[in-house]
Amino acid sequence: MTAPAPGRRRWLAAFVLLLTSLEVHANLAAQIERGRYLVQAGGCLTCHTADRPDAIPLAGGRALLTPFGTFYAPNITPDPVTGIGGWTDADLGRALREGVAPDGSNYYPVFPYPAYTGIEDADVTALGAYLRSLKPTRQQAKEHDLPWYLSSRLVMMGWNFFNFSPGRFTPDRSRDAAWNRGAYLVRHLGHCGECHTPRNLLGGLDHSRDLAGNPAGPDGEKIPDLTQNQTTGIGQWSADDIAFLLETGLLPDGDFAGSSMSAVIEDNTARLTPGDRQAIATYLKALSPRLP
Amino acid sequence: MHRLVRTVLVAGLVAAFSAGATAATAPADAIKYRKAVMAAMAAHVSAFVLINFGKVDQQEYLKSHANALADLGAQGKVLFPAGTDTGDTNALPLIWKEQEQEQFNKLIAQLETSSARLRDAVAANDKPGAAAAFKSLSESCKGCHDRYQKKDD
Repeated sequence: MTAPAPGRRRWLAAFVLLLTSLEVHANLAAQIERGRYLVQAGGCLTCHTADRPDAIPLAGGRALLTPFGTFYAPNITPDPVTGIGGWTDADLGRALREGVAPDGSNYYPVFPYPAYTGIEDADVTALGAYLRSLKPTRQQAKEHDLPWYLSSRLVMMGWNFFNFSPGRFTPDRSRDAAWNRGAYLVRHLGHCGECHTPRNLLGGLDHSRDLAGNPAGPDGEKIPDLTQNQTTGIGQWSADDIAFLLETGLLPDGDFAGSSMSAVIEDNTARLTPGDRQAIATYLKALSPRLP
Repeated sequence: MHRLVRTVLVAGLVAAFSAGATAATAPADAIKYRKAVMAAMAAHVSAFVLINFGKVDQQEYLKSHANALADLGAQGKVLFPAGTDTGDTNALPLIWKEQEQEQFNKLIAQLETSSARLRDAVAANDKPGAAAAFKSLSESCKGCHDRYQKKDD
């Protein structure tokens, strides 16, 4: 067999290169699509988009009223000055899973890194691909409005010591795939506990009462119990009732879910696949009832 | 004899109807009535959503539920008479406070206008209009319930 003539070889190389770039391109497109889905499942839109009809998605601006002060969600479009332009996947992973900014400063836990710490590597990559694909918007977020004792982000290092245990999600092999997917969505990506779990004096989550409802939730709202308790929780709901609420916003009795949940349903759970909504329902139905 | 029975019956019925029209309503009955109308609205919302999300194939009845919601939604303003703040109710006394009247009446008016818009949009087969009206209706429901309804712990 003779080697191809140099001209043919060049064509072949170009063809291989083209195929490779097509594949890379298709891969990137798939990653961006996956990232778009994860941004919904992660509830990013609800906080990082200002609360007005003409707001640019993810360009920041929503005010979050908490017992510890008012926080303004930053711009996470890829603008290099006011957003996250220039961030690597490693920067994004560190921010999401450790609560540390590229400049080494700590985020406040109003950004749910204690939940996001479980996010898998592949999901960080996909989130990065999607966020980089957005149109950069120049919009500076307002400074947080905090009491003096929280004005230094160094305080958060102490807070982390007591309230933050970093670590990736590890599936429970004694449970089925739906439960594990539900656990990943509820505990990590969807960060349901940030509102539905009560907090200790330091503002950390009280994990002995996971998802057992929070009498002092964001904006002063009373956040309901999601455990299987028959009276305070959702013990009387079927898995389908839960999935139906997450899709439509309607409670089993025909009433609508409360105001902050309606934003979560609109931005997040209504846009999930039916399988992911069922997975969340499977996980919640397997919770133990909250103790009185 | 027969004529006598008939006369007595008719007189009784007339009395019952005129009593309904004139006698003051007992607060307990007004609360019962409020709950009945609220439950009817919730049932029509459920049915509407089941059709709208394609869970059941009853498209031809979407209009019935939208019409019912508009009729019931127009009743909001008569469901909270004075004196119905105590008893077997989850309505918070805040509703009857002077400083709340503007806010409360605004939500009650939103219930009426949004449900009327929903009826008209469904009748005209205007899907974006119906979606916007339904969203506004849902905001009036939960706006009121978030602020004025007692919640369990």
